Amino acid sequence: MLKTVINYILGMGPSVFLPFIMIIIGLIVRMKFRRAFSAALTLGVAFAGMSVIINFMMSAIGPASQAFVKSTGLHLRAIDMGWTPLAAVAWAWPYAFFMFPIQIAINLIMLGFGWTNCLNVDMWNVWNKILTAVLVAGVTGSLPAAFIVGAIEVVFELKNADLTQKQIYKITGIPGIALPHAMGLTAVILAPLNRLLDFIPGLKNINIDAEKIREKIGIFGENHVMGFIIGFLIALFARYDVKGILTLAVQSATALTLFPMAAKLFMEALAPISDAAGEFMKRRFPGREFYIGLDWPFLAGQAEIWVTTIVLVPVILLAAIVLPGNNVLPFGGILNICFAAPALIITNKNLVRMFILGVITTPLYLYVATSFSPIITNLAKSVGTIKIPAGQLMTWNGMEAPGFRWIWAHAADVINGHFAGLVFLAIWGVIYVWYYRYMSRREKEVAKELGFDMTANPLSMP
Amino acid sequence: MKKIIVACGSGVATSQTVASKVKDLCEKKGLRVQVEAINIRNLEAHIKNCDMYISITPYEKKDYGVPVVSGIPFLTGVGLDVAMKQIEEVLRK
Repeated sequence: MLKTVINYILGMGPSVFLPFIMIIIGLIVRMKFRRAFSAALTLGVAFAGMSVIINFMMSAIGPASQAFVKSTGLHLRAIDMGWTPLAAVAWAWPYAFFMFPIQIAINLIMLGFGWTNCLNVDMWNVWNKILTAVLVAGVTGSLPAAFIVGAIEVVFELKNADLTQKQIYKITGIPGIALPHAMGLTAVILAPLNRLLDFIPGLKNINIDAEKIREKIGIFGENHVMGFIIGFLIALFARYDVKGILTLAVQSATALTLFPMAAKLFMEALAPISDAAGEFMKRRFPGREFYIGLDWPFLAGQAEIWVTTIVLVPVILLAAIVLPGNNVLPFGGILNICFAAPALIITNKNLVRMFILGVITTPLYLYVATSFSPIITNLAKSVGTIKIPAGQLMTWNGMEAPGFRWIWAHAADVINGHFAGLVFLAIWGVIYVWYYRYMSRREKEVAKELGFDMTANPLSMP
Repeated sequence: MKKIIVACGSGVATSQTVASKVKDLCEKKGLRVQVEAINIRNLEAHIKNCDMYISITPYEKKDYGVPVVSGIPFLTGVGLDVAMKQIEEVLRK
């Protein structure tokens, strides 16, 4: 009976069942019914709005990308949608909300036992773990495996917040915060590469003033401008006429401008819950000191991040064309922030090194986006309101922690008798052990440099 | 009505969290205000049309022409009263 009711509600699609779940959660965290209803409806509106824009983009870019494939002979069938549509379909996964209690419980346990000093109040990026879970479920077909890998990611994120806290303080000067964001896990791959750069003569201390460059090229970092340029290029190579080229360019600019506007509604709806969860967690440890784990934007003032993402755009476009086996047509995720933020920390704000690391890791992002594109496309289709033409795929180039996600998802596939992923996991594990020691040492060095007394109190401030 | 802008990396998550919180706290004090979350890359276009800027990133180096307050207290809870007082002063002017 209950199952029939649940299935009936789920059958109405995410723009209806998400608000249902939201009202229930809202009442559990003791919101007034009026506010819970308003927040829930906002969530439904966010989802329906997102679907409208995805369909608009698919109807504009879809045919253009097919014409692009035909005229160039390049088989780039998976349109890179960027992160906002992915967040929408991840929240639409029927089990998505179960990731909230998992993240909160793991964090409280780890704080209680002193295994981390980070209290993560960033409830928005629970969706990172939901996306991981969705991808694991897509690879393995197993729901328990999906949640187990999601839980493992929570642990690694919190450890990574501990391993970068002092270095982030040195960069931002903001006390008491840390970065438990999934994008930080890319540092496990970036750190050894950056260490290798130490051995190249001449690269040791070279750097460029990013602020000056940003003033000149900053306009390319604006969503509508970048959307216009990429749309223009796709239509040009698809051999559209002038009117067709300019129309697609403006439509692309429209999609990339509207995506964040609609995605903002998700946050507006989730804010009260996120607030309640944060307060709930803080109340558990009245005497205990900890860093507050936040989303990445406190780093967004660093010019190096924006300059790196912009100068990597031509690199990503070129790589997409020349890399054998790549099927990603770069578009919405072309400004690869999820790479630039961890690279900023690992290189300690060194623009030259960030660019070199970006060039080296661009294939990783493209291949992981290629590998996951069928799963992401199926997920979007299962939502029901999103229409994707046959033969067309969608994906996200530049996702957080591509290495972590791909390796753990394929390692989890061992439950189906596929052992290859375990080999990658073993290699990753060895690198992680090195990374853990290397970063612990760097933290101590920075702490000493800034005058923290780590021995008396690891949380002390100068 | 006075207008406050909050900027973050995408104009989606962090800035919207802070914006919702500030609006909520202002309403509880009976202050009417418009709080808008924006993308930090569009900051220059928006800063001319606002009465206050809430920054998630360090901001001391630059003069924006409007009062600036840190948005971090609204995320961590530390120093929230002081930040709120600064906002109130601007709104009651």
